[in-house]
Amino acid sequence: MSLSSIDIGTQMVNLGSVLLLITCFSIVGLRRLSSCVHVFALQSVFLGLTAALVAFLTGIHHIYIAALLTIVVKAVVIPRILMKVIRRKDVDRELEMNVNVPTGLLICGALVILAFFITQPIIPLGFLLTRDSLSIALAIILVGFFMMIARKEPVTQVIGFLVMENGLFLAATAAAYGMPLIVELGVFFDVLVGALIIGIYTHQLQDTLDNVDTSKLTTVKEK
Amino acid sequence: MFWPLALLVAAPVMAGLGSLLMQQRRAIEVLQCALAGTLLAAAALVAGQVIAAGEVSVGDFLQTDALSAWLDLIIGFVGSSGTIYAVGYVGEEMDRGHLSLRRYSQFFCLFDLYLAAMLLGVNQENIAIMWIAIEGSTLWAALLIGFDRSKAALEAGWRYIILSSLGIALALFGTILVYYSSEHILGVSNEALRWSQLYRVAGELDPAGIKVAFIFALIGYGTKAGVAPMHTWLPDAHAEAPTPISAMLSANMLTVGVYAILRFKAVTDRSVGPEFAGKLIIGLALLSLAISAIFLLVQRDYKRLFAYSSIEHIGIALLGFGIGGLGVFAGAWHLMNHALAKSTAFYGAGLVFLRYNHKSLDRVTGLLSQMPVAGTAILVAGVALAGMPPFGLFTSEVLIVAGSYTVRPEVAYVFLALLALAFATLLYQVLRMVLGAPGETGTALGTQCRIFTSAAIGINIVALGTIGLHVPPGLATLLASIVKIFGTEMEASR
Repeated sequence: MSLSSIDIGTQMVNLGSVLLLITCFSIVGLRRLSSCVHVFALQSVFLGLTAALVAFLTGIHHIYIAALLTIVVKAVVIPRILMKVIRRKDVDRELEMNVNVPTGLLICGALVILAFFITQPIIPLGFLLTRDSLSIALAIILVGFFMMIARKEPVTQVIGFLVMENGLFLAATAAAYGMPLIVELGVFFDVLVGALIIGIYTHQLQDTLDNVDTSKLTTVKEK
Repeated sequence: MFWPLALLVAAPVMAGLGSLLMQQRRAIEVLQCALAGTLLAAAALVAGQVIAAGEVSVGDFLQTDALSAWLDLIIGFVGSSGTIYAVGYVGEEMDRGHLSLRRYSQFFCLFDLYLAAMLLGVNQENIAIMWIAIEGSTLWAALLIGFDRSKAALEAGWRYIILSSLGIALALFGTILVYYSSEHILGVSNEALRWSQLYRVAGELDPAGIKVAFIFALIGYGTKAGVAPMHTWLPDAHAEAPTPISAMLSANMLTVGVYAILRFKAVTDRSVGPEFAGKLIIGLALLSLAISAIFLLVQRDYKRLFAYSSIEHIGIALLGFGIGGLGVFAGAWHLMNHALAKSTAFYGAGLVFLRYNHKSLDRVTGLLSQMPVAGTAILVAGVALAGMPPFGLFTSEVLIVAGSYTVRPEVAYVFLALLALAFATLLYQVLRMVLGAPGETGTALGTQCRIFTSAAIGINIVALGTIGLHVPPGLATLLASIVKIFGTEMEASR
């Protein structure tokens, strides 16, 4: 591989990572639940493509499998399940948030800076091709973390969880050239089961409560 | 001889799937009792092999060293008595018509898979597969906590799964960072994820990378272990879960969280010296102690009381590991004794709940005269958990005080003050529960429930008493090997 193609490759991987981060911000900014799910699906497609690009540039073939799984599971299967939950319970309304959108976006901006600050000392360790992705991956994880805290609706908390997982996958694939295949598969399985279990919980909570708003979950608390 | 180790991990999976398929209650009961026996025997055999040979492995898949064997003993023993207890407890719920046979078999399936996931996690050299297994145990536990499907149980389960998912995601990031640092030395392969390899090359790993990785792992697995300030899921989950699950969460799952932190600490210590990880762990341990000591005072719910006591004891064990040297010995000893004592306490609490159908601390009195078995369980466990002799928790707490005094006297003072507060509160509450005249009559328990739960409580109390006075020679060998994993020889620290 010539030097210039490595350069282009690095640029492409960085582009993919940045697209992931931008979709994160749009999820934070969106107010409708169904749009959040669609943007999440788009993000997963970007993630799958970035992973495939890394597989192509490095010649590590098992990353292709992980990329394919990402697109199938996270861009098709999970969004479908989420849309079903939304339609069945007719919760596709304007979202209530603990913080308003502009403040949320500002906080996410700060989180991105924090992510770059934390990863700065360890960036030089990485492979030349993809090492900048590590900071972006951590930024995505932190933004996902924020989403889980800032949103009240269970479905958006699930999306926050899945966004965190996307960040982790980006860290594993782009920054570390993929974990061994068995590990990737295990992580996938756990994510899928985790999403399903959170789905079951959403379902049961919706059956038990009239209005599913996790800030109203106050039966169990310190007395 | 690898079959005991393979059996230890495979038996719960088989028993769990078997329970799901079986259509008869009697058959499930027999199967679960067989599992309890198998777990106990397999854990003892594995520990025996590790004591003799140092390490046991099943091909590339399972590896057990002294620390893993220690966890096998804890999970195997408490898992075994917990299975017997669950047969009695869940059976009673079924007799009262709260559960269908289908839900009954589902409960045991989830329960066994949960045990299997933890056993896989601790008998594993690959840090990423350890993560997968621990995440698996989190997911099974989430389903078990909300098993009652009451509003409160669902809320507790929801809080648990959201917080644990956050925590476990950070732990995975820590794992990825270790891999990111090690793959340059060990290559892009499974080798770069193995403890033994990581220990070997730890000196060459990049210190900055390992430090950041450790912080993520500490926060992540600390959430699982219920370390403050990530403990907020713990009291709810312990209070609302079916009681056999509360016992298992406290005795096993928190311990597994500590185990994962310890593995990362061992790598970090070899890479950047024990000071860095030690300081962070001591800080979080003291915070856990402080928070639990305060909340113990204000509890009005006996299951929450024991839940906060778990946060306290995990903090004490971590303090031991943070200090290092003799503290490692004390910390490991503390984990085992805490697992036994706390599961006994929850077994007793479960019987009280079955009888009175409420969890109010103020309304429970005179247990010794009305419910001798539950009363004895809560009394013995309460005395042990308060840290009184002749129980092992006394020994380990004294050792930790002594250890911290030689290294950092100020830590020892803070520790003693918090310990005294927790001691007084817990003992007061427990004595108030067991002594005096009974206030309510409640619903009497069925014979079968009484037999099984008494057996589980009996096994635990006998074990607690046996290891209370002295450390059996085999366990002493294991403990010495554990101390070696953390780099200090026993002699050097004495």
